[in-house]
Amino acid sequence: MDEKRASFEREALVHLDVLYRVALRLTGNGSDADDLVQEAMLKAYRAWDQYQQGTNAKAWLLTILRHAFINEYRRRARHPETTDIDAIEPFAVFSEIQDDDPQGAFFDRIVDDEVLRAIDELPEAFRETLVLSDVEGLSYQEIAGILEVPVGTVKSRLFRARQLLQGKLYDYAVGQGYIKGTPA
Amino acid sequence: MNCRECVEHLYEFLDRELTPELERQIRDHLEDCPPCGEQFDFEELFLKFLRARCRTQGAPAELKRRVLRELFGE
Repeated sequence: MDEKRASFEREALVHLDVLYRVALRLTGNGSDADDLVQEAMLKAYRAWDQYQQGTNAKAWLLTILRHAFINEYRRRARHPETTDIDAIEPFAVFSEIQDDDPQGAFFDRIVDDEVLRAIDELPEAFRETLVLSDVEGLSYQEIAGILEVPVGTVKSRLFRARQLLQGKLYDYAVGQGYIKGTPA
Repeated sequence: MNCRECVEHLYEFLDRELTPELERQIRDHLEDCPPCGEQFDFEELFLKFLRARCRTQGAPAELKRRVLRELFGE
């Protein structure tokens, strides 16, 4: 096996699951996610000589994936982005539930698909920030680099994305009767 | 540190993005302030819940094969 392939397998292909999960949340369906990951991996392999080995392959690959998404998929994304994200009012779920369920036990009753569906409903700028942070565990600095925004923007998007998502899950839990309360 | 300042740094604290000094000040406040402690616990639990629910899915085996085929002609 040649050296380029060996190093690519060792440093890049190990992140295939991460790329797929992020692609799935960006595109909203498995078939586009497959194509997007495939394309990002091909671009990454072609540009592999420019990658400094031993640095941050995951962030480098996610940057390539996101560029590919913006260039080729966003145009035909299922949710045209019309939300004014600055106008979204945060909703503090904790203050609603602190008397009845301060441990957030209602979360345990919400299944994977429902959480993913709620994430998919977030405006794209919130969704991508939240997925990179809360699902994939990247640092503010890494996310700022990938999304090409200041760290302060990452912080504020993350805050509002989390509040918004909590609000959606809380509404769902109230609707299902998992918790008493009034929808957000 | 008061409650407002403490809660302002809530997510940065949970995301381990603070300086050790600020982190220590928050820990001190949380020890003395059960209401803030409860709120931090709730948010921490939420973040753990999110990660647990969203990381069960990986790339399909067929996609792995497809990528290998495309890159290395296998």
